[in-house]
Amino acid sequence: MRKLIGGAIYLLSGALGVLAFIYPFFTSAGALVQRGAAHAQDAPLLTAGLVGLSVVALLVELQGRTLSAKTVAMLGVLVAFTSVLRFLEVAFPMPGGFSPIFGPIIIAGYVFGGRFGFLMGTFTLLASGLVTGGIGPWLPYQMFTAGWAGLSAGWLGQASEWMKDKMPGPAHAKEEQRMAQDVSDADVIVLCGFGFVWGLLYGAIMNIYFWPFAVGPAAQTWEPGIGLGKTLARYGVFYMVTSLAWDLARAVGNVVLLLALAKPMIRALNRFRRRFHFQVRGSHSDLTGLENHA
Amino acid sequence: MLDARVWFVWALTTLVAASATRSPLYIIVLLLTTMVVGGTCAAGEGRRAPLSPLRFAMVAVPLSALFNALTIHLGDTVLLHLPSWIPLMGGAITLEAVTFGALNGLTLTVIFAAFSVFNQVTPVRDLIKLTPRAFHEGGVVLSIALTFIPQTTRSLQRIREAQAVRGHRVRGIRDWLPIVVPLLVSGLERAMGLAEAMVARGYGAVCSEKQPFRTQALIIVGLMTLLAGWLAYLFNAAWSAPAVAVIAIGAVTIGVAIWLTGRGVNHTVYRARSWTAGDSFALLGCAVTLVAACRGRAALYYSPYPVLTLPSFDPLMGLAMLGLLVPAIVTVAREDAEMHRDPDEGNGFSKQPQTSTDHG
Repeated sequence: MRKLIGGAIYLLSGALGVLAFIYPFFTSAGALVQRGAAHAQDAPLLTAGLVGLSVVALLVELQGRTLSAKTVAMLGVLVAFTSVLRFLEVAFPMPGGFSPIFGPIIIAGYVFGGRFGFLMGTFTLLASGLVTGGIGPWLPYQMFTAGWAGLSAGWLGQASEWMKDKMPGPAHAKEEQRMAQDVSDADVIVLCGFGFVWGLLYGAIMNIYFWPFAVGPAAQTWEPGIGLGKTLARYGVFYMVTSLAWDLARAVGNVVLLLALAKPMIRALNRFRRRFHFQVRGSHSDLTGLENHA
Repeated sequence: MLDARVWFVWALTTLVAASATRSPLYIIVLLLTTMVVGGTCAAGEGRRAPLSPLRFAMVAVPLSALFNALTIHLGDTVLLHLPSWIPLMGGAITLEAVTFGALNGLTLTVIFAAFSVFNQVTPVRDLIKLTPRAFHEGGVVLSIALTFIPQTTRSLQRIREAQAVRGHRVRGIRDWLPIVVPLLVSGLERAMGLAEAMVARGYGAVCSEKQPFRTQALIIVGLMTLLAGWLAYLFNAAWSAPAVAVIAIGAVTIGVAIWLTGRGVNHTVYRARSWTAGDSFALLGCAVTLVAACRGRAALYYSPYPVLTLPSFDPLMGLAMLGLLVPAIVTVAREDAEMHRDPDEGNGFSKQPQTSTDHG
């Protein structure tokens, strides 16, 4: 029952977040226009508030279910590690939209699962925003999108495990590979492809929240009631003209970073994942002593 | 120094006011207000913005004007024509489009300047203190991250030096490997030690407690209400008012869930900051501006299309915008009061030190 409720919270906050980004594609004709030009900016402000609330709701759920001392410590240190990379980005401007933070977020999600990946994405953007002075109305969107990148990396990791199980081959070889937590070249290639897609997707998603309110030539701007196909075509043109080159730098940067770092980072994280599986159990005599003391 | 919550409200109010208008007169009033507040309140703070608002404006305003002029061919005052065979940019370049683009750039500058001031005047520890009790674990993660950032930076420096001594030179991305991997491993070792210390001090003792069913149910109801209200708002303009009410109910429901979650968390403050009259005064100033910006949309509206006209200016609205100036007034008044304070007062010799121990 609890799993079902947890899943419903994921689904609802995810739906709210997705709709927050793509609602202009489905809004009824004229609904925004009828409110008048003076209220044109109401919807983006309201949307920013809703995105913030859905992030908050999801965080309440995630915190209540997973955050043990080990997760808290691991997450804190990995967020610090990634935030230092963001420092490098601020200090030495990188080409286009390239940011070295996405590689570690994707790798952490891939190794530790979707929940950890989501928390890693949101907290990395929040912590680095705090230390680099990057707090602003854009932050909830950045947190949500980076969280999704981490969450989907977790799903990719699970899919990869499932595929390895289904692949033909001797069972003992698979077991040996699992015990060694080895990373194959195929894993790295899949991760690079995933990083490339998220490099483009991050920019495309972050554009959508302001695109409906941008004024421009008819071939690039949204109008109420033009239909899904036309809207997608116009957004495609807008994206190609304004963002593609910028986002390509991020996508290619992610690929280069993952090619260089994925194998050693996954090996290191896997090693520590096994070490983090310690359990503290009090002995019977300790407990009796405590009871007597009380 | 004002309370961090007041600064947060101030930055949000500036964002709302700047988003509500494209009139250059009001934008300039907002920009000047933000710069005065920044100059007065953030001048003595140690934290510096990575980019000054002036530099931001020097990039954002021309770029926005250029982009708008090249891509929007509306307006009656034609400056020049670009050949129509140039895709997307071909057509008339108008004065109105240049003006609107520049105004967009100025609006962005106001928002950037307001959040720069917010980032400069609020210490990170105060921002973490703003974390609601329900997110205390998130707050712990943030605290650990912010504490480890300087250590990680020092480790990076040490590892680079150690590798340089061994003759390692960074020429390409692969050369970062002997630096990044030891940095990650040393960080994870610290995480291991920290986790053991936290478990030893009983941190993990309550981690297995599940989220109460009541809280989960409230979150679901809140999210569903938000979704319903929002869809109603987007798809039917006639339902705007009830839809906003439904959204507010959803937000309050989630707020109650957060409050209930936070009730079970013990929260202790080593040195509590008391709310002052200056905080209330600054909040009142923000409220005046916020109400004016929300209710006076018609007065704030301006569009340079189709022909550039002079914008109108409502002195009352302009006066309401000055509500954002209150933090600067409060800061100046405090500094003035401190300068004129009796030198014997508060020097630590005439009074007993105030210490208190809370055994709760």
